[in-house]
Amino acid sequence: MKKKLFALFLIAALVLCMVPAAFAADDEITLDVIICQYGNNTNEWFERGGKGMDGSNFVEKFEAANPGIKLNLEVVSWNDVHQEVDTRIANNNAPDILNLDTFSEFLPDNLLLPVKDYCPDALFEDFFPAFMEDFLVDGEYWAVPDLASARALYYNVDMLEEVGVEVPTTWAELKDVSQAIIDFYDGEVYPWGIDMTTDEGQAAFAYYAWGNGGGFIDENGEWALNSDENVEAIEYAISLVNDGYTNPNPATQTRYDLQDMFAAGKLAMMIGPNSIPTYVAEKGGEINMATAGLPANEGNTSSSVGVKDVMMAFRDDSAPDQAARNEAIGKFMQFFYDPVNYVDWVSMEGFLPAVNSAVSALVEADPSFEAWLDILATCKFYPTSKAEWAQVRQGVTTVEQDALTGADVRAGLDALQAEVTK
Amino acid sequence: MSSGLNRNKWEPYIWLLPSLLLIAIFVIFPILIVFKLSFSEISKAGVVKGFIGFDNYIEAVNLPAFKTVMLNTLWWVLSVVILSTLLGFIIALVLNQKFHGRKIARSILVFPWATSLVIQASVWNYIIKAEYGNLNNVLLNLGIIQQAINWRSSYQIEFVWECWVGIFVTVPFVTFCVLSGLQSIDESLYESATVDGAGFWQKLWHITIPMVRPSLTVSTVLNIIYVFNSFPIVYTMTKGAPAHKTDTMITYLYMLSFYERKKGPATALSVIGFLILCLCAGIYMISVMRKEENL
Amino acid sequence: MRFPELKQQNRRMFLLLLLGLILSLILMSLPLYSFDVGVYTKKSANTFVGDKKFQAVRQEVEAVAEDYRAQGFNVEISENVLERVNSKGETTSLITFTVSERYSRNFFSFLGKGLPSSTVLTLVLALMAASVLFAVIGLRRTEDVVHFSLDSRAKTLRGLAVAAVLLAMLLIPVFILMNNVTFSRQLSLYNSELITEGKEAFFGKLDRFLFDGKMGEDIQDVLAGLQIAHSGMIWLLIPTLFISLVAAIGLRNGEIKSGLLRGLMYFFIVIVCLITLYPYYVMTITAFRSNAESLDMHFLHLFPTKWIWSNLTDIINRGVPRYLLNSVFVAGGATALAMLCGIPAAYAMARMNFVGKKAFLGFVIMSQMFSPVVLLIGISQLMNTLHLNNTLWGLMLINAAFNQAFAIWLLRGTFVSISSEMEQAAMIDGCNTVQALTKVLIPVAMPGIVTALIFVFINAWNEYTIATVLISTAQNRPITVGITQFSSFNMIEWQYMFAASLLATIPVVILFMSIEKHLTAGLTSGGVKG
Repeated sequence: MKKKLFALFLIAALVLCMVPAAFAADDEITLDVIICQYGNNTNEWFERGGKGMDGSNFVEKFEAANPGIKLNLEVVSWNDVHQEVDTRIANNNAPDILNLDTFSEFLPDNLLLPVKDYCPDALFEDFFPAFMEDFLVDGEYWAVPDLASARALYYNVDMLEEVGVEVPTTWAELKDVSQAIIDFYDGEVYPWGIDMTTDEGQAAFAYYAWGNGGGFIDENGEWALNSDENVEAIEYAISLVNDGYTNPNPATQTRYDLQDMFAAGKLAMMIGPNSIPTYVAEKGGEINMATAGLPANEGNTSSSVGVKDVMMAFRDDSAPDQAARNEAIGKFMQFFYDPVNYVDWVSMEGFLPAVNSAVSALVEADPSFEAWLDILATCKFYPTSKAEWAQVRQGVTTVEQDALTGADVRAGLDALQAEVTK
Repeated sequence: MSSGLNRNKWEPYIWLLPSLLLIAIFVIFPILIVFKLSFSEISKAGVVKGFIGFDNYIEAVNLPAFKTVMLNTLWWVLSVVILSTLLGFIIALVLNQKFHGRKIARSILVFPWATSLVIQASVWNYIIKAEYGNLNNVLLNLGIIQQAINWRSSYQIEFVWECWVGIFVTVPFVTFCVLSGLQSIDESLYESATVDGAGFWQKLWHITIPMVRPSLTVSTVLNIIYVFNSFPIVYTMTKGAPAHKTDTMITYLYMLSFYERKKGPATALSVIGFLILCLCAGIYMISVMRKEENL
Repeated sequence: MRFPELKQQNRRMFLLLLLGLILSLILMSLPLYSFDVGVYTKKSANTFVGDKKFQAVRQEVEAVAEDYRAQGFNVEISENVLERVNSKGETTSLITFTVSERYSRNFFSFLGKGLPSSTVLTLVLALMAASVLFAVIGLRRTEDVVHFSLDSRAKTLRGLAVAAVLLAMLLIPVFILMNNVTFSRQLSLYNSELITEGKEAFFGKLDRFLFDGKMGEDIQDVLAGLQIAHSGMIWLLIPTLFISLVAAIGLRNGEIKSGLLRGLMYFFIVIVCLITLYPYYVMTITAFRSNAESLDMHFLHLFPTKWIWSNLTDIINRGVPRYLLNSVFVAGGATALAMLCGIPAAYAMARMNFVGKKAFLGFVIMSQMFSPVVLLIGISQLMNTLHLNNTLWGLMLINAAFNQAFAIWLLRGTFVSISSEMEQAAMIDGCNTVQALTKVLIPVAMPGIVTALIFVFINAWNEYTIATVLISTAQNRPITVGITQFSSFNMIEWQYMFAASLLATIPVVILFMSIEKHLTAGLTSGGVKG
């Protein structure tokens, strides 16, 4: 009886180990792809079994169009994606293709495949050249943009009209307008939205620092985090919070919270991406809204903040046929950026495109895109190609959050600058 | 109690083998890897380089937020474990009484245990939102407050909320452990004590508490471990914001690893946490078990 | 205690019961509610006292006030001026005019007005009357009893009196809630045209309540800015009814002290249960709301205006059944495996003597001391080696392993508490150890085993961190990971997230409730001898 029991264990253990160890056919290439979850339909659009792409999905369509290549594609939420990617890298099991917001942390370990190794020339030419510039490190392009978004100031037209104020263009005006809104609505409406949460603090830094002539880097491309302009900018942003002109908890109220408040008429002005009108409509809000440039400090010009995410391919030295693998990655890229598929995806996610071939179709579908493309052309972007970017991004957020609890901004930025440049 | 049913001295080990294998392969092996990693240099992207001795540990201890986080962790574990044990104990005393609807009350009490932590934390996060949170809605409608209150106006208060959710999900476990202990107490003990003129507090102190102490030991040791290692509550509610002031050790090392990309120190920190836990739980277990001796 | 004393005590209790009820009635007859009607607010920005704009606005407000006065209202105008100097040195100002009249009402004016709170109030009064009735009949029956113990019918009657008072007490907050919902939330929904169904009937009721139906068509204007307020004294109803509750329990159990204790106990239990259920109420109402209603910034809805059942079908179409099945498979398998390995180990720990027993227990506990978050890299490496990445089998094994500690600890305690005599007898009869375990011990220890089973199942069901990293295709996702797709970069769909969460919680809760009995029985043995 006892022996039987143990035999059972043994068999069970063996079966457990054998079942999943199915081996793929030799001539077939399997690509592991990780895509970030942008919207509520991303899963349905991409993943096997989904119905979001013309009643089918990306994986099945791709495999039908490219026999011999299998996709093991996973849509991962932004909350978990770093954890998953890093764990895989630590185990020498990096995905073949990865979609993320940065790429520079993978450069020092020589993990990425240069774009020229897999990207067909025609596609390469198609990317906005201004976008590609940022992906050039040591004479080689390491990633391609998958989409972009530009941020603008959204304001509630009716509200500002009722209060009798104009859209602020300078920091001083912003405070006046905010005070007027507070007075008029007895504090029931927050005048200005600020998001200094752990995931978006770098954006707040950019809005104010760039509006004050500062920024992450100086003209030589070196980190310049503790410049006087930056200190003044962050102190100004914090003073907005302390004067009661903003949403009450900037360290934990995310952009969704701000968008929700904006949609409900609880927030008068906020900085956000071009997807806000769609968001507000889906949440049932009927807000008469308009966009404007971000307010800047007296004597400075405002510059829009742009964000672009990336697609990259990883090296895999264990692949038996490197050329075939590169070709497969190329086919993936070509299929993804094919206007038929790409336009559908970008418009579904409500972002801005990164390739020229998609522009005409998108503008045709929604004329308001044109204005956004103009804004995009003048945008400043984060210095994502610098290797310390992840640390800086987290660092400025920490400084902001510290300042919210009363800490000194200059000391925080000095320490961060010292740490990043050491 | 052990009556020595084993016929030869190897037999017990065979009985232990499946369990031992399962733990050794799937738990101990990853633990060993963590130890190895904590002495290795790890790149920003997670690539493991060579051995660097105690550098990671030194860097971890010297992190600016280290002290705050350790203090937070202490508060977190102490408040959640002590308060939920206290509350759970009181609720168990009450639920041990006979009254109509006792079964329903017990079933309701089990709810928080059966729901995953991520969901619990999300719900509470949603409840205490100042702008459309349900708590404000209910209190406004009850006329208890006249204006929506910002329930998370400072990080200290946010931390209190996190502890509250921790307590909320831990109480049922303690309650049921204590209830089981209470049920094993012979009624006649109380009766004779009543005859001897003992009051409520005396009975509580001299009969109830000693009898449920073993159950409390189990629940406390496991709670210390689970609460210390609890990740989803803090991560879902604040992500440690502002500036790690609401982080506990486990969420801090997560932020360190995946946001700040200091993977070496993060791993070292996890080993430090493990050692602290071993020490605390170990001391507690030894001191309690010495009293019982019936292991 | 002799019969006459008991009788006297019963009388005292009954009087106390009446006292509580009478105090409550007195409170109810006080004008605790106030209504500001005919409220009209006009704000004017950049207006200065005496200037042209000010005059114009002032005239407008006067006209409105005159209009009200013509209708017989005694309204008053108040104005509030706020002036500031902005950053450019200009003076800005804001003037607010308010017009209103205040009305007071007591509880009884709500009766028979057809409002939701009217029904609640009727119920409260009926329950109060019922409690007296039950107590009186219950008392009657004691008068015939020679011994001081109550007969079962008297006991039931007096029990009903307790229940009636308790229920009346619980309905007081409901009454207050209903009034606020009607007079501020629901009214503003009608005013802002967010709901239109039954609008006339609604305003008709308010008209009857406040003005005996005299307003007619004008009622909507008059109530446009209605503000309801109640005095804090209203909450005194809870203590006054509590007096009655204590008395009612005292009537049943004999002593005032036990009445007080039990009264407090009921109170405590009700509060604890309400707090426990609160998040589930929030989950449920949010799960059935429309996307728009899920962010209800003006606190208009306590319940969805429309229950959107399609939220359920939406999430079902987005893979949730598949995720649930995966979770059932993983949690079920992990539980089975954890038991298969844990029972023999616990048996050895409970029944056999060997070197390293304590060390093994320490080893088991130690295996719990790392959070899965920390072990991810190691686990993932292991799974790669075993070719178990992205498989439900891998997840199952991990969950089984991580729950060994709990299973072994619990099962060992259970086994230890069961006398080994029966097994020894069985072994003398020729059974081997395995048979002694399976045939004799396991049936007896079933409650403990069921308990351990449930513990492991729930832990495995709720596991999230490891699954996010191990599972990399949609088909293999367990429900905890599947839920994350409803909170994406662009939008958190609270209604879907909570609907899916409810679906994920319900099976576990049902499982839990069905074995609640075993749970306590099982832990008893586990805990005490642990």
